[in-house]
Amino acid sequence: MLDLQSLGRTGQWALLALLIWFGLASSAMAEKVKLDPSNWGLEEGKECVSCHKKSSAALTHEWQNSAHAEAGVNCLDCHLADQVDNDAIEHEGAIIATIVTPKDCGRCHDKEFKETEGSVHAKALSMIKNRLPALADNLSGKEMVAAGCAQCHGSKVEVRGDGTLTPETWPNTGIGRINPDGSLGSCSACHGRHSFSKAQARDPSACTWCHTGPDSPDDEVYASSKHGMLYEANRSKMNLEADQWVLGKDYSAAPTCVTCHMGSTPGVKGSHDVGMRDAWSLNRPISEQQYLVIFEDGDRRELPDSQPAPRRGSELSKLDGTMGKVKAVASPKRRRQVMTKVCLECHGKNFVNSYMKQFDNVVKLYNEKFGKPAQAIMSALYEKKLLTPAPFDEPIEFSFWRLWHDEGTAARHGAAMMSPNYASWEGMHKVGQNFYGEFLPQLRQLAGEETANELIEMHVTSLDQHSWLNNPGKPNPILGYGIGKESHE
Amino acid sequence: MSKLRLPLFITRHVVFALLIGGFAGIGFVLFLTEFDHLTSTETFCTTCHSMELVAEPYRQSSHYRPASGVRASCGDCHVSEGVFAATWDHFIGGKDLFNQIFGPEYDDPVINALHLPDAAFAARDWFKQRDSATCKRCHVKEAIYGTRPDTVLIHTEDAKEKSCIECHYNLVHRAVPDKAVFKRDKWNRMIEEEFGLSPGEADILLGGE
Repeated sequence: MLDLQSLGRTGQWALLALLIWFGLASSAMAEKVKLDPSNWGLEEGKECVSCHKKSSAALTHEWQNSAHAEAGVNCLDCHLADQVDNDAIEHEGAIIATIVTPKDCGRCHDKEFKETEGSVHAKALSMIKNRLPALADNLSGKEMVAAGCAQCHGSKVEVRGDGTLTPETWPNTGIGRINPDGSLGSCSACHGRHSFSKAQARDPSACTWCHTGPDSPDDEVYASSKHGMLYEANRSKMNLEADQWVLGKDYSAAPTCVTCHMGSTPGVKGSHDVGMRDAWSLNRPISEQQYLVIFEDGDRRELPDSQPAPRRGSELSKLDGTMGKVKAVASPKRRRQVMTKVCLECHGKNFVNSYMKQFDNVVKLYNEKFGKPAQAIMSALYEKKLLTPAPFDEPIEFSFWRLWHDEGTAARHGAAMMSPNYASWEGMHKVGQNFYGEFLPQLRQLAGEETANELIEMHVTSLDQHSWLNNPGKPNPILGYGIGKESHE
Repeated sequence: MSKLRLPLFITRHVVFALLIGGFAGIGFVLFLTEFDHLTSTETFCTTCHSMELVAEPYRQSSHYRPASGVRASCGDCHVSEGVFAATWDHFIGGKDLFNQIFGPEYDDPVINALHLPDAAFAARDWFKQRDSATCKRCHVKEAIYGTRPDTVLIHTEDAKEKSCIECHYNLVHRAVPDKAVFKRDKWNRMIEEEFGLSPGEADILLGGE
């Protein structure tokens, strides 16, 4: 259990901060709107419906069946714009904006707005800024930014001088979208328009729209996990339409993405800050445990565990480059504790802690055996000018990219969310296949026998985990050497 | 049989004067009719190069190449019906000719694009003041069926009190935002980018009149 002594000074601060933070956050995840209803239901907005029932009947029908319609929130309440807004347009007598930004939604859904704004989701575009030149400009093509990258990560929406939105940056509902009003994110990334159904957002498909495929196979991981299996079989028992959705109170049949990453559990407040409970960074060449730094203004950023934890009240650069004052720091340990609390709703403490141990072990294995050696070798190759600095013009660059970005991620996510297939066959097995079968042979070809051996010795065979390479004579019946013998003879 | 007696003041000279005056009057009205007609054509309007610039998008529009084959020329939309109204419109429009000669260099595509919003606002006001009269020369609200079943309902129910121009603008020429949301600064920056000018150059071009 939590021992204040063992936490140390930083830990105590973090704990205190977390308590304050959770104390401030309110109880239910989909918080009731506190604003007085006189703030919506604009008279002029009622006129929109008559025409839109005809001109875009399906869209209007979606809205008509929504909680918004029920509460009297009409088109103009969300789409109303100010004359001075860059993207304001005149539309049949009303001044509106096509894009409804999180800031607009936040007029009523204040808590959710604040939580998402500082979250990793809202920063999804700025986080891949350094990857775009190599991946889009070189490897695929600029056109793929609009059709691919930005659809999930978000675009920086550009408004032309005539008020129109450029087709290069819109339509877009990427979760890290930079909006014309400066706000970050897009609520409709997860909350499909115009029904804004609770059930739809609670369904794992809301997440797997983006969290799928080689670099983030969470759809596949979840579907092939025990949790996903139970969800599939028990969907009708999930009470997805319920107003309040607290694990153990309102549903219990299976956890979804929402349950663990943002949902409410007795003792754990729900939050739209989706990355809050993640102790590790799992989508990097080398995983690190992460502090969550909370700034005075509510903004947040992560810092690797290897760096000293920033002090409360100190100045720290935020992800947008500006400086912020640190309000609180949540240690990776504390973040893990919050996540664990969700697990405890169904599992015993020992079960959960041991499971987390299995997960951590996989991440550490990946780091030590593959991630670190491969990264060290790549650095050496660039340093020795055996590789041009240009990304993706050499086979080994593809191998390394795949090793951490695809296969390594599959292994780590598979272990995090209990998909044996993704942890192993789609994950670490492929990492190994790549490392021994492609990466190292490519290194030999590229660097020549002497340099390659030197690098392999320094970064690979000196490690215990690779020492089997030094002892190649053992029987190997599964591939045909020493048939009839035991493999460990 | 009584002889028709003309009043004494109708002298031979007066008869001649009336005849000449009458014919001249008829001739003048016929002249105006022909004049309005000729000066409403695309060929006439585009004798000024500046008008050629705004005619380019028009030639891509559905008013130039509609499926029905009914082409609306400049005057069909921009000149009122009836010889007196049409003449008046041409008289007022004469200021454009004045500006073309003595005003800014409208023939320059940059200057033209910078001034376009003001022209668009003036044209829209003109349509509004006349309750979209020239649209109605061809379009009859009750006869708009469209290709989707609800088009007719929108025009008979929702657009009942509205004038065509209130909803239908930016159909023919380069799109310009409504006056209520137009931002001169942003427009200038867009034109600068489009024509490869340095930032602020548009303001100088506009201000240097």
